[in-house]
Amino acid sequence: MTANSTTTRENPQGLDLAPEAPTLRTESLDAVKNDASDAPALDVRGLDIRYADGFHAVKGLAMSFPKRSVTAIIGPSGCGKSTALRAFNRMNELIPGTTTGGEVLFRGVNIYAPGVDPVQVRRWIGMVFQKPNPFPKTIYENIAWGARINGFQGDMDELVESSLVQVALWDEVKDKLKKSAYALSGGQQQRLCIARAIAVRPEIILMDEPTSALDPISTSKIEDLLDELKKRYTIIIVTHNMQQAGRVSDSTAFLLHGELVEYAPTKDLFFNPRDERTESYISGRFG
Amino acid sequence: MGNRTQLMDEMNRLRHDLLLMGTRVEESLRKAAEAMRTQDVELAREVKADDELVNALQLKIEDQAAMLIATQQPVARDLRELVAVFKATDNLERSGDHAVHLAKAVIKLAGEPPFRHIERLERMANSGCEMVRGAVGAFLARDAEEARRIAALDDEIDHEHKAVVDEALGFMRDHPEQIERANRIIKTAGFLERLGDHMTNLCEAVVYMVEGSHVELNE
Repeated sequence: MTANSTTTRENPQGLDLAPEAPTLRTESLDAVKNDASDAPALDVRGLDIRYADGFHAVKGLAMSFPKRSVTAIIGPSGCGKSTALRAFNRMNELIPGTTTGGEVLFRGVNIYAPGVDPVQVRRWIGMVFQKPNPFPKTIYENIAWGARINGFQGDMDELVESSLVQVALWDEVKDKLKKSAYALSGGQQQRLCIARAIAVRPEIILMDEPTSALDPISTSKIEDLLDELKKRYTIIIVTHNMQQAGRVSDSTAFLLHGELVEYAPTKDLFFNPRDERTESYISGRFG
Repeated sequence: MGNRTQLMDEMNRLRHDLLLMGTRVEESLRKAAEAMRTQDVELAREVKADDELVNALQLKIEDQAAMLIATQQPVARDLRELVAVFKATDNLERSGDHAVHLAKAVIKLAGEPPFRHIERLERMANSGCEMVRGAVGAFLARDAEEARRIAALDDEIDHEHKAVVDEALGFMRDHPEQIERANRIIKTAGFLERLGDHMTNLCEAVVYMVEGSHVELNE
Protein backbone atom coordinates (compact mmCIF):
# COMPACT_ATOMS: atom_id res chain seq x y z
CA MET A 1 0.00 0.00 0.00
CA THR A 2 2.50 2.50 -1.14
CA ALA A 3 1.61 6.04 -1.89
CA ASN A 4 4.68 7.54 -3.35
CA SER A 5 4.36 11.28 -3.40
CA THR A 6 6.97 13.07 -5.43
CA THR A 7 6.59 16.28 -3.53
CA THR A 8 6.25 17.20 0.08
CA ARG A 9 4.38 20.35 0.82
CA GLU A 10 3.88 22.30 3.96
CA ASN A 11 0.44 22.57 5.44
CA PRO A 12 0.04 26.34 5.40
CA GLN A 13 -3.47 26.45 6.76
CA GLY A 14 -2.95 23.95 9.55
CA LEU A 15 -5.72 21.90 7.98
CA ASP A 16 -6.61 18.99 10.22
CA LEU A 17 -5.53 16.30 7.81
CA ALA A 18 -3.05 14.90 10.32
CA PRO A 19 -3.72 11.74 12.36
CA GLU A 20 -3.22 13.46 15.67
CA ALA A 21 -6.24 15.68 15.06
CA PRO A 22 -9.06 13.27 14.25
CA THR A 23 -11.96 15.35 15.50
CA LEU A 24 -14.60 16.61 13.16
CA ARG A 25 -13.99 20.15 12.22
CA THR A 26 -16.82 22.37 13.33
CA GLU A 27 -16.45 24.82 10.51
CA SER A 28 -20.01 25.46 9.46
CA LEU A 29 -21.32 24.55 6.09
CA ASP A 30 -22.26 28.16 5.59
CA ALA A 31 -18.64 29.20 5.90
CA VAL A 32 -17.78 26.83 3.10
CA LYS A 33 -20.80 27.90 1.14
CA ASN A 34 -19.86 31.55 1.50
CA ASP A 35 -16.26 30.99 0.61
CA ALA A 36 -16.03 33.44 -2.23
CA SER A 37 -12.46 32.68 -3.24
CA ASP A 38 -12.23 31.41 -6.76
CA ALA A 39 -9.43 29.02 -5.92
CA PRO A 40 -10.26 25.56 -7.22
CA ALA A 41 -11.73 23.01 -4.85
CA LEU A 42 -9.09 20.55 -5.97
CA ASP A 43 -5.97 21.16 -7.98
CA VAL A 44 -4.33 18.13 -9.56
CA ARG A 45 -0.77 18.47 -10.82
CA GLY A 46 1.20 15.87 -12.70
CA LEU A 47 -0.77 12.96 -11.25
CA ASP A 48 0.86 9.70 -12.21
CA ILE A 49 -0.48 6.33 -11.13
CA ARG A 50 0.91 2.88 -11.75
CA TYR A 51 -0.50 -0.44 -10.64
CA ALA A 52 1.56 -3.26 -9.16
CA ASP A 53 1.83 -4.98 -12.56
CA GLY A 54 3.42 -1.84 -14.00
CA PHE A 55 0.32 -0.66 -15.85
CA HIS A 56 0.56 3.09 -16.20
CA ALA A 57 -3.08 3.99 -15.52
CA VAL A 58 -2.87 7.77 -15.21
CA LYS A 59 -0.20 9.81 -16.99
CA GLY A 60 0.64 13.28 -15.81
CA LEU A 61 -2.94 14.36 -15.19
CA ALA A 62 -3.18 18.09 -14.54
CA MET A 63 -6.53 19.72 -14.00
CA SER A 64 -8.36 21.77 -11.44
CA PHE A 65 -11.93 21.43 -10.28
CA PRO A 66 -13.93 24.60 -9.67
CA LYS A 67 -15.82 24.90 -6.41
CA ARG A 68 -19.50 24.12 -6.17
CA SER A 69 -19.87 22.73 -9.62
CA VAL A 70 -20.24 19.31 -11.17
CA THR A 71 -17.34 18.02 -13.22
CA ALA A 72 -17.81 14.84 -15.21
CA ILE A 73 -14.93 12.60 -16.20
CA ILE A 74 -15.65 10.44 -19.21
CA GLY A 75 -13.66 8.00 -21.28
CA PRO A 76 -13.68 4.40 -22.46
CA SER A 77 -13.13 1.48 -20.09
CA GLY A 78 -9.55 1.36 -18.90
CA CYS A 79 -8.84 5.03 -19.65
CA GLY A 80 -7.92 5.69 -16.02
CA LYS A 81 -10.93 7.74 -15.03
CA SER A 82 -11.90 5.69 -11.96
CA THR A 83 -8.26 5.34 -10.97
CA ALA A 84 -7.84 9.11 -11.14
CA LEU A 85 -11.03 9.63 -9.15
CA ARG A 86 -9.84 7.27 -6.42
CA ALA A 87 -6.57 9.20 -6.24
CA PHE A 88 -8.50 12.32 -5.30
CA ASN A 89 -9.11 10.94 -1.82
CA ARG A 90 -6.28 8.42 -1.60
CA MET A 91 -8.45 5.37 -2.16
CA ASN A 92 -5.88 3.76 -4.44
CA GLU A 93 -3.73 3.11 -1.41
CA LEU A 94 -6.12 0.28 -0.60
CA ILE A 95 -4.89 -1.47 -3.75
CA PRO A 96 -1.53 -3.12 -2.96
CA GLY A 97 1.42 -2.05 -5.08
CA THR A 98 -0.15 1.09 -6.49
CA THR A 99 2.21 4.02 -6.72
CA THR A 100 1.05 7.59 -7.01
CA GLY A 101 3.17 10.53 -8.10
CA GLY A 102 2.39 14.21 -8.47
CA GLU A 103 0.24 16.37 -6.29
CA VAL A 104 -3.42 16.62 -5.39
CA LEU A 105 -3.86 19.96 -3.70
CA PHE A 106 -6.83 20.46 -1.42
CA ARG A 107 -6.89 23.95 0.07
CA GLY A 108 -3.28 24.29 -0.88
CA VAL A 109 -2.27 21.09 0.91
CA ASN A 110 -0.94 18.14 -1.03
CA ILE A 111 -3.06 15.28 0.29
CA TYR A 112 -0.12 12.94 -0.41
CA ALA A 113 2.33 14.94 1.71
CA PRO A 114 3.91 13.13 4.65
CA GLY A 115 1.92 13.49 7.83
CA VAL A 116 -1.42 13.80 6.06
CA ASP A 117 -3.88 11.20 7.32
CA PRO A 118 -5.82 9.54 4.49
CA VAL A 119 -8.78 9.00 6.80
CA GLN A 120 -9.02 12.73 7.35
CA VAL A 121 -8.63 13.32 3.61
CA ARG A 122 -11.65 11.08 3.03
CA ARG A 123 -13.58 13.05 5.63
CA TRP A 124 -13.21 16.17 3.50
CA ILE A 125 -13.39 14.41 0.18
CA GLY A 126 -16.09 11.74 0.25
CA MET A 127 -16.83 8.97 -2.20
CA VAL A 128 -20.05 7.45 -3.51
CA PHE A 129 -19.60 4.15 -5.33
CA GLN A 130 -21.19 2.49 -8.31
CA LYS A 131 -23.25 0.04 -6.30
CA PRO A 132 -25.10 1.33 -3.28
CA ASN A 133 -23.22 0.04 -0.25
CA PRO A 134 -25.18 0.92 2.86
CA PHE A 135 -23.91 -0.51 6.14
CA PRO A 136 -25.87 -3.48 7.51
CA LYS A 137 -27.44 -1.17 10.01
CA THR A 138 -30.56 0.93 10.37
CA ILE A 139 -31.19 3.86 8.08
CA TYR A 140 -30.55 6.16 11.03
CA GLU A 141 -27.26 4.50 11.94
CA ASN A 142 -26.04 4.67 8.36
CA ILE A 143 -26.01 8.44 8.70
CA ALA A 144 -25.08 8.70 12.38
CA TRP A 145 -22.21 6.22 12.44
CA GLY A 146 -19.79 8.14 10.24
CA ALA A 147 -20.51 11.40 12.01
CA ARG A 148 -20.10 9.77 15.40
CA ILE A 149 -16.70 8.24 14.68
CA ASN A 150 -15.65 11.64 13.35
CA GLY A 151 -16.41 13.09 16.75
CA PHE A 152 -19.69 14.80 15.96
CA GLN A 153 -21.22 15.99 19.23
CA GLY A 154 -24.19 18.02 18.03
CA ASP A 155 -27.84 17.01 17.69
CA MET A 156 -27.65 13.68 15.91
CA ASP A 157 -31.37 13.56 15.10
CA GLU A 158 -31.06 16.89 13.41
CA LEU A 159 -27.99 15.82 11.46
CA VAL A 160 -29.75 12.65 10.27
CA GLU A 161 -32.81 14.58 9.23
CA SER A 162 -30.94 17.38 7.45
CA SER A 163 -28.74 14.88 5.61
CA LEU A 164 -31.76 12.90 4.46
CA VAL A 165 -33.59 16.09 3.48
CA GLN A 166 -30.66 17.18 1.36
CA VAL A 167 -30.85 13.98 -0.67
CA ALA A 168 -34.66 14.18 -0.90
CA LEU A 169 -35.05 10.92 0.98
CA TRP A 170 -36.47 12.19 4.26
CA ASP A 171 -40.14 12.02 3.30
CA GLU A 172 -39.71 8.47 2.09
CA VAL A 173 -37.95 7.12 5.17
CA LYS A 174 -38.86 9.35 8.13
CA ASP A 175 -41.26 6.74 9.52
CA LYS A 176 -38.83 3.85 9.23
CA LEU A 177 -35.52 5.24 10.40
CA LYS A 178 -34.98 2.23 12.66
CA LYS A 179 -35.48 -0.24 9.83
CA SER A 180 -32.58 -1.83 8.03
CA ALA A 181 -31.11 0.16 5.17
CA TYR A 182 -31.29 -3.04 3.15
CA ALA A 183 -35.09 -2.70 3.09
CA LEU A 184 -34.75 0.31 0.80
CA SER A 185 -34.80 0.13 -2.99
CA GLY A 186 -31.53 0.44 -4.91
CA GLY A 187 -32.17 4.07 -5.75
CA GLN A 188 -33.07 4.88 -2.15
CA GLN A 189 -29.97 3.07 -0.93
CA GLN A 190 -27.81 5.16 -3.23
CA ARG A 191 -29.39 8.37 -1.97
CA LEU A 192 -28.79 7.09 1.57
CA CYS A 193 -25.13 6.59 0.70
CA ILE A 194 -24.96 10.16 -0.58
CA ALA A 195 -26.64 11.33 2.65
CA ARG A 196 -24.05 9.35 4.60
CA ALA A 197 -21.29 11.02 2.62
CA ILE A 198 -22.60 14.53 3.25
CA ALA A 199 -23.35 13.90 6.94
CA VAL A 200 -19.66 14.38 7.73
CA ARG A 201 -19.80 17.70 5.88
CA PRO A 202 -17.25 17.14 3.18
CA GLU A 203 -16.29 19.77 0.67
CA ILE A 204 -15.94 17.47 -2.27
CA ILE A 205 -17.99 14.42 -3.22
CA LEU A 206 -16.50 11.94 -5.65
CA MET A 207 -18.98 9.73 -7.48
CA ASP A 208 -17.94 6.66 -9.40
CA GLU A 209 -20.72 5.68 -11.81
CA PRO A 210 -23.32 6.42 -9.13
CA THR A 211 -26.35 5.52 -11.24
CA SER A 212 -25.12 2.67 -13.38
CA ALA A 213 -26.88 0.13 -11.17
CA LEU A 214 -30.11 2.10 -11.00
CA ASP A 215 -33.32 2.23 -13.03
CA PRO A 216 -34.15 5.37 -15.05
CA ILE A 217 -36.43 6.91 -12.41
CA SER A 218 -33.89 6.46 -9.62
CA THR A 219 -31.22 7.76 -11.97
CA SER A 220 -33.28 10.84 -12.65
CA LYS A 221 -33.69 11.46 -8.91
CA ILE A 222 -29.94 11.27 -8.36
CA GLU A 223 -29.33 13.59 -11.30
CA ASP A 224 -31.82 16.11 -9.91
CA LEU A 225 -30.08 15.78 -6.59
CA LEU A 226 -26.71 16.68 -8.10
CA ASP A 227 -28.12 19.97 -9.21
CA GLU A 228 -29.08 20.73 -5.61
CA LEU A 229 -25.92 19.36 -4.03
CA LYS A 230 -23.61 21.44 -6.19
CA LYS A 231 -24.90 24.56 -4.43
CA ARG A 232 -22.97 23.36 -1.37
CA TYR A 233 -20.45 20.82 -2.54
CA THR A 234 -18.00 20.27 -5.32
CA ILE A 235 -18.92 17.15 -7.21
CA ILE A 236 -16.67 15.08 -9.44
CA ILE A 237 -18.49 12.28 -11.21
CA VAL A 238 -17.11 9.49 -13.34
CA THR A 239 -19.69 8.21 -15.75
CA HIS A 240 -19.95 5.90 -18.72
CA ASN A 241 -23.20 7.52 -19.66
CA MET A 242 -22.40 10.47 -21.87
CA GLN A 243 -25.96 11.70 -21.92
CA GLN A 244 -25.74 11.83 -18.15
CA ALA A 245 -22.50 13.81 -18.29
CA GLY A 246 -24.24 16.19 -20.66
CA ARG A 247 -27.25 16.56 -18.38
CA VAL A 248 -25.62 16.97 -15.00
CA SER A 249 -22.18 18.49 -15.36
CA ASP A 250 -20.85 21.99 -15.80
CA SER A 251 -17.49 20.85 -17.10
CA THR A 252 -16.42 17.59 -18.69
CA ALA A 253 -13.00 16.00 -18.94
CA PHE A 254 -12.27 13.32 -21.52
CA LEU A 255 -9.55 10.84 -20.64
CA LEU A 256 -7.97 8.39 -23.04
CA HIS A 257 -5.17 5.92 -22.28
CA GLY A 258 -4.54 7.66 -18.95
CA GLU A 259 -4.16 11.11 -20.50
CA LEU A 260 -6.40 14.13 -20.40
CA VAL A 261 -7.42 14.77 -23.98
CA GLU A 262 -9.88 17.61 -23.50
CA TYR A 263 -11.36 19.48 -20.56
CA ALA A 264 -13.99 22.09 -21.33
CA PRO A 265 -17.38 23.45 -20.35
CA THR A 266 -19.81 20.60 -20.97
CA LYS A 267 -21.86 22.49 -23.52
CA ASP A 268 -18.74 23.11 -25.61
CA LEU A 269 -17.36 19.62 -25.29
CA PHE A 270 -20.59 17.98 -26.41
CA PHE A 271 -21.43 20.48 -29.10
CA ASN A 272 -18.14 21.40 -30.68
CA PRO A 273 -15.21 19.46 -29.23
CA ARG A 274 -11.76 20.66 -30.21
CA ASP A 275 -10.07 17.29 -30.38
CA GLU A 276 -10.94 14.73 -33.02
CA ARG A 277 -10.56 11.91 -30.46
CA THR A 278 -13.17 13.56 -28.25
CA GLU A 279 -15.47 13.94 -31.24
CA SER A 280 -15.10 10.25 -32.09
CA TYR A 281 -15.67 9.10 -28.54
CA ILE A 282 -18.67 11.23 -27.63
CA SER A 283 -20.36 10.50 -30.94
CA GLY A 284 -19.97 6.80 -30.24
CA ARG A 285 -17.45 5.91 -32.90
CA PHE A 286 -15.11 4.14 -30.54
CA GLY A 287 -14.99 3.11 -26.93
CA MET B 1 -19.76 0.90 -29.45
CA GLY B 2 -18.90 0.48 -33.08
CA ASN B 3 -19.03 2.92 -35.92
CA ARG B 4 -22.63 3.95 -35.37
CA THR B 5 -23.58 2.13 -38.56
CA GLN B 6 -27.29 2.68 -38.06
CA LEU B 7 -26.87 6.39 -37.45
CA MET B 8 -24.55 6.71 -40.43
CA ASP B 9 -26.96 4.84 -42.71
CA GLU B 10 -29.83 7.03 -41.64
CA MET B 11 -27.77 10.20 -42.03
CA ASN B 12 -26.79 9.14 -45.55
CA ARG B 13 -30.45 8.62 -46.37
CA LEU B 14 -31.16 12.08 -45.03
CA ARG B 15 -28.39 13.61 -47.16
CA HIS B 16 -29.75 11.80 -50.20
CA ASP B 17 -33.22 13.24 -49.62
CA LEU B 18 -31.75 16.69 -49.07
CA LEU B 19 -29.95 16.42 -52.41
CA LEU B 20 -33.22 15.35 -54.02
CA MET B 21 -35.02 18.31 -52.45
CA GLY B 22 -32.33 20.73 -53.62
CA THR B 23 -32.41 19.29 -57.12
CA ARG B 24 -36.20 19.66 -57.25
CA VAL B 25 -36.04 23.29 -56.14
CA GLU B 26 -33.34 24.04 -58.69
CA GLU B 27 -35.40 22.34 -61.42
CA SER B 28 -38.50 24.27 -60.46
CA LEU B 29 -36.63 27.54 -60.62
CA ARG B 30 -35.10 26.64 -63.96
CA LYS B 31 -38.49 25.63 -65.35
CA ALA B 32 -40.08 28.85 -64.10
CA ALA B 33 -37.31 30.91 -65.74
CA GLU B 34 -37.71 28.94 -68.97
CA ALA B 35 -41.49 29.42 -68.83
CA MET B 36 -40.93 33.17 -68.38
CA ARG B 37 -38.56 33.37 -71.31
CA THR B 38 -40.82 31.37 -73.64
CA GLN B 39 -44.11 32.48 -72.11
CA ASP B 40 -45.00 28.83 -71.70
CA VAL B 41 -47.99 28.73 -69.38
CA GLU B 42 -48.12 24.94 -69.32
CA LEU B 43 -44.53 24.74 -68.09
CA ALA B 44 -45.33 27.33 -65.43
CA ARG B 45 -48.23 25.17 -64.24
CA GLU B 46 -45.85 22.22 -63.89
CA VAL B 47 -43.77 24.26 -61.45
CA LYS B 48 -46.79 24.70 -59.21
CA ALA B 49 -47.45 20.96 -59.25
CA ASP B 50 -43.80 20.11 -58.59
CA ASP B 51 -43.80 22.20 -55.43
CA GLU B 52 -45.93 19.61 -53.67
CA LEU B 53 -43.08 17.14 -53.92
CA VAL B 54 -40.67 19.68 -52.43
CA ASN B 55 -43.04 20.26 -49.52
CA ALA B 56 -43.45 16.53 -48.97
CA LEU B 57 -39.66 16.06 -48.98
CA GLN B 58 -39.28 18.76 -46.36
CA LEU B 59 -41.67 16.96 -44.01
CA LYS B 60 -40.06 13.60 -44.67
CA ILE B 61 -36.54 14.90 -43.98
CA GLU B 62 -37.56 16.79 -40.86
CA ASP B 63 -39.46 13.81 -39.43
CA GLN B 64 -36.44 11.63 -40.07
CA ALA B 65 -34.05 14.11 -38.47
CA ALA B 66 -36.30 14.45 -35.40
CA MET B 67 -36.47 10.66 -35.13
CA LEU B 68 -32.67 10.43 -35.21
CA ILE B 69 -32.34 13.03 -32.47
CA ALA B 70 -34.86 11.13 -30.36
CA THR B 71 -33.45 7.66 -30.87
CA GLN B 72 -29.74 8.05 -31.58
CA GLN B 73 -28.77 10.87 -29.22
CA PRO B 74 -26.37 12.49 -31.68
CA VAL B 75 -23.81 14.95 -30.31
CA ALA B 76 -21.16 17.29 -31.66
CA ARG B 77 -20.76 17.10 -35.45
CA ASP B 78 -23.72 14.75 -35.93
CA LEU B 79 -26.00 16.97 -33.87
CA ARG B 80 -24.88 20.11 -35.66
CA GLU B 81 -25.58 18.46 -39.00
CA LEU B 82 -29.10 17.53 -37.93
CA VAL B 83 -29.75 21.05 -36.67
CA ALA B 84 -28.41 22.36 -39.98
CA VAL B 85 -30.71 19.96 -41.86
CA PHE B 86 -33.73 21.70 -40.34
CA LYS B 87 -32.38 25.08 -41.44
CA ALA B 88 -31.59 23.73 -44.90
CA THR B 89 -35.03 22.22 -45.52
CA ASP B 90 -36.76 25.32 -44.25
CA ASN B 91 -34.83 27.58 -46.60
CA LEU B 92 -35.14 25.20 -49.56
CA GLU B 93 -38.89 24.99 -49.06
CA ARG B 94 -39.18 28.78 -49.07
CA SER B 95 -37.01 28.91 -52.19
CA GLY B 96 -39.35 26.43 -53.85
CA ASP B 97 -42.22 28.73 -53.00
CA HIS B 98 -40.43 31.61 -54.68
CA ALA B 99 -39.99 29.52 -57.83
CA VAL B 100 -43.76 29.04 -57.73
CA HIS B 101 -44.26 32.78 -57.35
CA LEU B 102 -42.21 33.30 -60.49
CA ALA B 103 -44.31 30.68 -62.29
CA LYS B 104 -47.52 32.36 -61.15
CA ALA B 105 -46.28 35.68 -62.50
CA VAL B 106 -45.65 33.98 -65.85
CA ILE B 107 -49.26 32.75 -65.87
CA LYS B 108 -50.60 36.17 -64.90
CA LEU B 109 -48.51 38.03 -67.49
CA ALA B 110 -49.27 35.54 -70.27
CA GLY B 111 -50.47 37.06 -73.51
CA GLU B 112 -49.04 40.44 -72.75
CA PRO B 113 -46.18 41.86 -74.82
CA PRO B 114 -42.76 40.70 -73.66
CA PHE B 115 -41.41 42.84 -70.91
CA ARG B 116 -37.92 44.21 -71.40
CA HIS B 117 -36.87 43.45 -67.84
CA ILE B 118 -37.31 39.76 -68.41
CA GLU B 119 -33.62 39.33 -69.10
CA ARG B 120 -32.67 40.67 -65.70
CA LEU B 121 -35.23 38.41 -64.00
CA GLU B 122 -33.80 35.52 -65.93
CA ARG B 123 -30.29 36.36 -64.77
CA MET B 124 -31.59 36.51 -61.21
CA ALA B 125 -33.20 33.09 -61.62
CA ASN B 126 -30.01 31.65 -63.10
CA SER B 127 -27.95 32.97 -60.20
CA GLY B 128 -30.61 31.53 -57.89
CA CYS B 129 -30.21 28.11 -59.54
CA GLU B 130 -26.47 28.31 -59.06
CA MET B 131 -26.92 29.22 -55.40
CA VAL B 132 -29.34 26.35 -54.76
CA ARG B 133 -27.03 23.83 -56.38
CA GLY B 134 -23.92 25.28 -54.76
CA ALA B 135 -25.39 25.59 -51.27
CA VAL B 136 -26.71 22.03 -51.24
CA GLY B 137 -23.39 20.85 -52.67
CA ALA B 138 -21.47 22.67 -49.94
CA PHE B 139 -23.76 21.10 -47.34
CA LEU B 140 -23.16 17.58 -48.63
CA ALA B 141 -19.42 18.17 -48.96
CA ARG B 142 -19.29 19.83 -45.52
CA ASP B 143 -17.37 22.62 -47.21
CA ALA B 144 -17.57 25.91 -45.31
CA GLU B 145 -15.34 27.75 -47.77
CA GLU B 146 -17.52 26.75 -50.68
CA ALA B 147 -20.55 27.89 -48.67
CA ARG B 148 -18.95 31.32 -48.23
CA ARG B 149 -18.21 31.51 -51.96
CA ILE B 150 -21.78 30.58 -52.88
CA ALA B 151 -23.25 33.09 -50.42
CA ALA B 152 -21.29 35.84 -52.16
CA LEU B 153 -23.32 35.16 -55.34
CA ASP B 154 -26.23 36.81 -53.58
CA ASP B 155 -24.56 40.15 -54.42
CA GLU B 156 -25.26 39.53 -58.10
CA ILE B 157 -28.91 38.83 -57.40
CA ASP B 158 -29.18 41.93 -55.24
CA HIS B 159 -27.55 44.01 -57.97
CA GLU B 160 -30.02 42.78 -60.60
CA HIS B 161 -32.89 43.26 -58.18
CA LYS B 162 -32.03 46.88 -57.64
CA ALA B 163 -31.69 47.43 -61.40
CA VAL B 164 -35.07 45.78 -62.11
CA VAL B 165 -36.78 47.90 -59.49
CA ASP B 166 -35.19 51.11 -60.76
CA GLU B 167 -36.12 50.31 -64.34
CA ALA B 168 -39.63 49.26 -63.47
CA LEU B 169 -40.19 52.46 -61.50
CA GLY B 170 -38.98 54.45 -64.49
CA PHE B 171 -41.31 52.43 -66.72
CA MET B 172 -44.19 53.25 -64.38
CA ARG B 173 -43.45 56.94 -64.63
CA ASP B 174 -43.36 56.78 -68.44
CA HIS B 175 -46.34 54.45 -68.72
CA PRO B 176 -48.67 55.10 -65.83
CA GLU B 177 -51.31 52.98 -67.54
CA GLN B 178 -49.05 49.93 -67.03
CA ILE B 179 -48.44 50.40 -63.30
CA GLU B 180 -50.08 47.10 -62.40
CA ARG B 181 -47.92 45.15 -64.81
CA ALA B 182 -44.71 46.88 -63.72
CA ASN B 183 -45.66 46.30 -60.11
CA ARG B 184 -45.91 42.58 -60.76
CA ILE B 185 -42.40 42.63 -62.17
CA ILE B 186 -41.15 44.40 -59.03
CA LYS B 187 -42.86 41.83 -56.81
CA THR B 188 -41.48 38.95 -58.83
CA ALA B 189 -37.97 40.38 -58.62
CA GLY B 190 -38.51 40.68 -54.88
CA PHE B 191 -39.28 36.95 -54.65
CA LEU B 192 -36.08 36.10 -56.48
CA GLU B 193 -34.15 38.45 -54.22
CA ARG B 194 -35.59 36.62 -51.19
CA LEU B 195 -34.60 33.31 -52.75
CA GLY B 196 -30.99 34.55 -52.75
CA ASP B 197 -31.36 35.42 -49.07
CA HIS B 198 -32.68 31.94 -48.28
CA MET B 199 -29.75 30.34 -50.00
CA THR B 200 -27.43 32.63 -48.05
CA ASN B 201 -29.12 31.31 -44.90
CA LEU B 202 -28.47 27.78 -46.09
CA CYS B 203 -24.80 28.65 -46.59
CA GLU B 204 -24.70 30.04 -43.05
CA ALA B 205 -26.15 26.72 -41.84
CA VAL B 206 -23.28 24.92 -43.60
CA VAL B 207 -20.71 27.07 -41.80
CA TYR B 208 -22.52 26.43 -38.52
CA MET B 209 -22.51 22.70 -39.19
CA VAL B 210 -18.82 22.59 -40.07
CA GLU B 211 -17.38 25.15 -37.66
CA GLY B 212 -19.97 25.27 -34.87
CA SER B 213 -20.30 29.03 -35.02
CA HIS B 214 -23.03 31.39 -36.16
CA VAL B 215 -21.99 33.67 -38.97
CA GLU B 216 -23.68 36.36 -41.03
CA LEU B 217 -22.66 35.91 -44.63
CA ASN B 218 -23.10 38.61 -47.18
CA GLU B 219 -24.46 41.26 -44.79
